Amino acid sequence: MNEVKAGPVAVATKLLLTLMYGVPILWILITSVKSSAAVFDRASTFVFTPTLDAYSAAITPTLWTAMGQSATIAVGATALVLVIAVPAAYGLARTTGWLPTLGLGLLIVLQMMPQTANVIPLFQIFSSWRLLDTTASVILADAALLTPFATLLLRPFFRAVPPQLEEASSIDGAGILRTFWTVVLPVARNGLFTVGTLIFLLAWGEFLYAVNFYLTPGRYPLSALLAQQVSAFGIDWPGLMALAVLTSLPILVVFSLTYRQLKDGLTVGAVK
Amino acid sequence: MTTSLAPAAGRAGTRPAPGPRRRRPRQARLLFLLPAALFLGVLSIYPLITLLRMAFSAVTAATLNADWAFTGLDNFTAGIQSGDTGAALSRTAVFVAVVTVLGMGLGLGGAIALRTSGRWSGALLALMVFVWALPPVVNGSVWKFLLADTGLVNTVLLATGLRDTPVPFLYDQHWALMAVAFVNSFAVIPFNALVYRAALLTIEPEVFEAAELDGAGKAQQVRHIMVPSVRGTTLVLLILTLVYGLRSFDFIYVMTYGGPGTATNTLPFLGYLQAFVRYDYGLGAATSVVAVAGVLVLAVLYARSIRNEEKHG
Repeated sequence: MNEVKAGPVAVATKLLLTLMYGVPILWILITSVKSSAAVFDRASTFVFTPTLDAYSAAITPTLWTAMGQSATIAVGATALVLVIAVPAAYGLARTTGWLPTLGLGLLIVLQMMPQTANVIPLFQIFSSWRLLDTTASVILADAALLTPFATLLLRPFFRAVPPQLEEASSIDGAGILRTFWTVVLPVARNGLFTVGTLIFLLAWGEFLYAVNFYLTPGRYPLSALLAQQVSAFGIDWPGLMALAVLTSLPILVVFSLTYRQLKDGLTVGAVK
Repeated sequence: MTTSLAPAAGRAGTRPAPGPRRRRPRQARLLFLLPAALFLGVLSIYPLITLLRMAFSAVTAATLNADWAFTGLDNFTAGIQSGDTGAALSRTAVFVAVVTVLGMGLGLGGAIALRTSGRWSGALLALMVFVWALPPVVNGSVWKFLLADTGLVNTVLLATGLRDTPVPFLYDQHWALMAVAFVNSFAVIPFNALVYRAALLTIEPEVFEAAELDGAGKAQQVRHIMVPSVRGTTLVLLILTLVYGLRSFDFIYVMTYGGPGTATNTLPFLGYLQAFVRYDYGLGAATSVVAVAGVLVLAVLYARSIRNEEKHG
């Protein structure tokens, strides 16, 4: 497969995709170093004097608060999801019968639910629990949204752990919990790592729950701040793009550290 | 990025289920399901039951935390009679069709183009996966800007003389739905291409060599070797892409907020507006229930197809 030569159609497709995915990234960066006047002047589309004004305007105490909120929500949701989904995925990988089958079916249904079908009842439920306007509500809702996805993605990693390893451990006298902790988890750590990364990325970008469960923008995470600004009238594009760059920086860091595992981990389930 | 992606994983494991010999002691591991069952019971299942109850009740901002009056099918008939539900249904159908055709077509096309090794392919794949991993608000914002009157797309169209006036991508009745659907497929193509590519890489190179010796051209290799051998992957990705389009919300929120007028009110977005802008939670819940019903049908199809894969694969 490695010797495959690209034909003209393949080259054209790659050119199209490079434009489609390269231009937006380039444009975020370029716009973020433009002045507001240059954005609306067609003559300055490509030629303009770069300025860091948008960044210095964007980097305020509000930004740091929002970034802290994003980090709290993403880390909190990831931890909660892993604590719940890891044992569940292992349980589903190692049991048979109607109960795990029903569980799997439910997880598939839940992870396909439109988020708007969750946000309406959750708003009412959190309101009656007096949890609205708390970070806990957003973390809980995000974790509930992402747990089915994480469990389904983790299950094949546990199925790939040879049962003989566990049998050997239990012959040595280790109980189920100890075997799980000392034998199974270390073998499946790549899967945990991939899924943890994905959950972090998804929770970092989630904004619908944040926009609705926080009653004032004061404690919005970055994603919600961005969503609020982009749907406002008279958008300040350089400011918005600077905010987009700052929101994406942590994603870039996580992505560059984990791309290899992510690439393999995402396809592990879909292809035999 | 979207959460509808990975159920592909469900069909994964290559290891056969444990044999009946060791079945009994293994069932103790059902206890591992308990935390998830409790957590999802309270924060996923119970909310869905609440949604259903709201859909059959009169719930407004004033009565949100009070007792709701049961109103039967009133919310559903109100939605249908106002014409909102029907219009949203047909918009959703168009939207899902565009997302699916573009997402599947360019996903497979991209995978075929990207299975060549080399720096360009490697870098392009990494770029695409990175864009896929970016928050939808970021991708939505930049496309809103690219498609604006003074945005790059219109600047290029005007400069090359293809158009005399800017294309009203985001504030014309017909363009807006297409534009948002395009950006949604833009966001799903990298995932589909990545999965398709992995499936294509499992084809033995000898198969292509033999085909070339027999004088098969590139197009014939695509049609007679690649497409048939990724049929299982196609089925899984097709359902995932359909669901992705059906539940799409983020890009509509960011790019058009349902507008202009109601032009991009798909079912999930209409339900959201009814609940959180018009404060008619009952009506919004009823609209969402219609969307949930559509997702349920696809979920059953999906569960079936992955079960077949695990059995016969």
